Amino acid sequence: MTEVIQLTRKDFVSDQTVRWCPGCGDYAILAQIQKVLPELGRPKEDFVFISGIGCSSRFPYYMDTYGIHSIHGRAPTLATGLKIANPNLSVWVITGDGDGLSIGGNHFVHVLRRNVDLNIILFNNRIYGLTKGQYSPTSEQGKITKSSPMGSLEQPLNPISVAIGAEATFVARTVDTNVKHMAEMLRRAAAHKGTSIVEVYQNCVIFNNGAYSYATDSKTKSENVLELEHGKPMIFGKNRDKGIRLNGLNPEVVSLDAVDESELLVHDETMPEPSLAYMLSRMRQPAFPEPIGVFRDVQKPVYEEGVMAQVKQAKAQKGEGDLAKMYGNADTWEVVSSEFDDEYTSVLFHGENTADRDVAHALLTDTLADLSPKKPLTAHVDISLADAVARLKEVNVGFLALVDDDGNLAGVFTEWDIFTKVACKIKDMSQERVKDYMTPNVTTLGRSDTIAHALHLMAINHFRHIPIVNEDGKPEGVISFRSVVHFLEENFAPGKTNGKS
Amino acid sequence: MTKLKDAIFEDVESITIRFAGDSGDGMQLTGTQFSNSAAIFGNDISTLPDFPAEIRAPAGTLAGVSGFQVNFSSEDILTPGDAPQVLVAMNPAALKANLPDLVTGGTIIVNTDAFTKGNLKKAGYTENPLENDSLKDYVVHKLPITSLNRAALEHIEGLTSKDIDRCKNFFALGLTFWIYDRPLDTSLEFIERKFGKKLPIIAEANKTALQAGYSVGHNTEAFQTRYHIKPASLEPGLYRKVTGNEATAMGLITAAKKAGKPLFYGTYPITPASDILHFLAAQKNFDVRTFQAEDEIAAMGSVLGAAFGGAFAVTGTSGPGIALKSEAMNLGIMLELPMVIVNVQRGGPSTGLPTKTEQSDLLQAMYGRNGESPMPVLAPATPSDCFDMAIEAFRLAVRATTPVCILSDGYLGNSAEPWLIPNPDDIEPIVVTHPTAPNSQNGSGKFLPYKRDPESLGRPWAIPGTPGLEHRLGGLAKQPETGNVSYVPAENQQMNNERAEKVARLANVIPEQEVVGPQSGDLLVVSWGSTFGAVRSAVMRLQKAGKTVSHAHIRYLNPFPKNMGDILDRFDRILVPEMNMGQLIILLRGKYGTHNFIPFNKVQGRPFTISEVADRIESLL
Repeated sequence: MTEVIQLTRKDFVSDQTVRWCPGCGDYAILAQIQKVLPELGRPKEDFVFISGIGCSSRFPYYMDTYGIHSIHGRAPTLATGLKIANPNLSVWVITGDGDGLSIGGNHFVHVLRRNVDLNIILFNNRIYGLTKGQYSPTSEQGKITKSSPMGSLEQPLNPISVAIGAEATFVARTVDTNVKHMAEMLRRAAAHKGTSIVEVYQNCVIFNNGAYSYATDSKTKSENVLELEHGKPMIFGKNRDKGIRLNGLNPEVVSLDAVDESELLVHDETMPEPSLAYMLSRMRQPAFPEPIGVFRDVQKPVYEEGVMAQVKQAKAQKGEGDLAKMYGNADTWEVVSSEFDDEYTSVLFHGENTADRDVAHALLTDTLADLSPKKPLTAHVDISLADAVARLKEVNVGFLALVDDDGNLAGVFTEWDIFTKVACKIKDMSQERVKDYMTPNVTTLGRSDTIAHALHLMAINHFRHIPIVNEDGKPEGVISFRSVVHFLEENFAPGKTNGKS
Repeated sequence: MTKLKDAIFEDVESITIRFAGDSGDGMQLTGTQFSNSAAIFGNDISTLPDFPAEIRAPAGTLAGVSGFQVNFSSEDILTPGDAPQVLVAMNPAALKANLPDLVTGGTIIVNTDAFTKGNLKKAGYTENPLENDSLKDYVVHKLPITSLNRAALEHIEGLTSKDIDRCKNFFALGLTFWIYDRPLDTSLEFIERKFGKKLPIIAEANKTALQAGYSVGHNTEAFQTRYHIKPASLEPGLYRKVTGNEATAMGLITAAKKAGKPLFYGTYPITPASDILHFLAAQKNFDVRTFQAEDEIAAMGSVLGAAFGGAFAVTGTSGPGIALKSEAMNLGIMLELPMVIVNVQRGGPSTGLPTKTEQSDLLQAMYGRNGESPMPVLAPATPSDCFDMAIEAFRLAVRATTPVCILSDGYLGNSAEPWLIPNPDDIEPIVVTHPTAPNSQNGSGKFLPYKRDPESLGRPWAIPGTPGLEHRLGGLAKQPETGNVSYVPAENQQMNNERAEKVARLANVIPEQEVVGPQSGDLLVVSWGSTFGAVRSAVMRLQKAGKTVSHAHIRYLNPFPKNMGDILDRFDRILVPEMNMGQLIILLRGKYGTHNFIPFNKVQGRPFTISEVADRIESLL
């Protein structure tokens, strides 16, 4: 059962004194947000306000929610990271025209195209307030300020046009003095899944007072503002006697005295293509009334939901992440101790029952002599390849010891050598010498070495045979893996004298 | 039937071989295959890729030369080796660019087919070096690799001549496999895995080229000696090859997993750090959430946001990226949230040497932010150490609720070495606690976000979504405990002191500095970061030769280990090799006063070689 959350405006008021200039438009925005949040039915701890730098960016300090007063222009980036970390939060970005469109212009564009589920409230006062009155990227061209005493040379950016160009899915505009309209825009922004951007015409009483008087003055505003309503014809004017009609590709203001209402442009927030919204964003004073309301409200995939869907998909495909599996997801190889040392012994014979220990003990104490090694098949190293193969066939063994003139072991020639170097490769074996195909530098053991040592070498080097040489290096025997198996079978298989079942 | 000759096997401890060709010649792949094969054979290996910043510089030019150096050995090795003993040069430019590094008397294997007039001219040769006596000090094997390879592959149907020529790197690889007595299995398996199902003809072509190269070695009189490098005696266990960037990525995932946290990686692609992103992006089943931001600044901002949200948040970049991230890193210092910043350093200043290595961002990591901004700095010593240091970085970040910087570098990031695969169960969990109730003791029920842990001085990491702990963080100066904006002079002083002290106290939980060799005496070599291999090898070489010299390799640069000052006091002279112009010396002097520090600096985009360091030490003895 869901608990009904009863919050009031007061729940969102922090203990910090608000320090905007008296008469600043920011107060109205703060008040409306604190009014709207309790209506949204979400617990207070789910709200996060993130701002950049500027007068408006003091905002989070005045909200009794989670918040970060971050750095200039970067609020959307923090908000994006936060939403990816915890998509359940209701994250609001508070920014201004300088913060959001000048120093933070890049982030503004990219957060919109990603469609992260955020609510961006852009306080547009068309001036730099906190740094005391320089022109901003939304200041009109020719603006006289401290940093532009002869007039600014730059064309202003239109936040709504930029947002639409950046693929924004929800774009709205409101005015700080029209609190009812503002509250409605905030509600709509909160309800939208994806990034919503609300431009607020906000008056800076100190450095740009009256910038929007055309839109706020009760005498003139009806003539200068067009309130957009979805599905309704675009009508404005104190007496609602004017409208917007499409003339070719351009809008025009028409008088309803001369033109029938049915000819007027009808607003559609949900048009998949943003052409209408963009056209409306270009309507500026004094040629046109400036639209307020929702320019665009469309549904598109939400970024952080996509991130989480991929995580889910990866888990479904590969299973929950397993560290051991990840570490081993490469070509791996086993290194065993190359010396026959105590550590290896303990690893090798870490048996729990006594039978294992008996086997272990025997392997560690019995020597190769106990295996009664056979005399190896031996030949001179200079014989031909054909002869060597013939000898192996003749005796039906897989191991030929090759000795030099002094009878010392020069190398061995095994079935493996035939398999890897000779088979299907050599046409006339009688023309080849076996020494070119044998394995030189053979590892050898003595009769007194333990069986365990031989097994160890076989295990790490994949030997099948190991020649046994006497002190002079002359071959006197060979042990094979098979002979070790026989030894074990003889002595330890169930039912045998030494074995235990 | 070709007459076979007697190949003599020579047992050698280690060999360093460099493959060089056009960046389109696949030399990175060839080098990687060779090192995989050597590693699986049980040799200790260390690799150093050296590729141009230009993805495809004009073929045949010096700018386009790409190289890959492998050192494989029967001994435990610490660096990709010194000057290579063997150079495989696929064209004149590769020969010209790499010849200065080759040891005198070294072996050169050249592809004579590529020594055309045009290629010689592109490489800046006025005459063919294979035809005059300019290579008389080397053993030169001239092989028409392109045409031999073509001949070997001509019978395979369905191959274009371009396809055939693309296989010549595997031909060269086969040849080196023969010379160094490596089995072909690993590479054959690799080819099968890579092309087998989708492109069976290409698979066959590459396999044939590999085997043909091997046979050419077998059948050519030129190669009198084959080399055999025995398996190294590494600590027993299961191994894999790992690069520093892979190890960093796996360390980060491990840290997050060990804390039961999602891993957030916000980054902007930059050489040589991007491989960390690539690795992490493929591990989403560990709840890894990667975010490729619009720029470095946004990447760092997103890390702050994710850390606030309770994720294990990381960014990875290189020096130029850190320059852009500094502002947000500094906010991280003020917000006092745990996060990790990986700097895979490259040659600077400015864009510098994007694909080459340097250690010149140490002072940037320490001091490259406005105001007093103390940040812990760690420096892994080897590629596999990147794994441990990534985990360590999070351990410290969580303890002191602070951003922590890891200084890797291009050399560590791209180099590979065998890695003893750890058992995840042996890795200590990272315990994270998020408060759930207000912490004020006056009964006000208020949450004080900057009320510090008395021991670590870390602050409570309360995350949004927790009822009753709503609080605001920000970059403005703060009142202690409440974190409210405060311009009160004494409060600002206190907060600065606490942030500094919090980092300093990490010295209580990091290992003490070790010294290899005599614990006091005349000469101590002090190094940090990726120079470990060359410096430790040089010191060991001299110690073996009976010389008295000690080595301290620092992995914790801020704070330094507690005993660092004592160690310095016990030696008369301290040699400090660094791939910068002397940054560690500045830190050591600043903290421990005047000692007889001797700088030894190199900023050439290349790591130190063992002999360089050994020679310098020897000149002091």
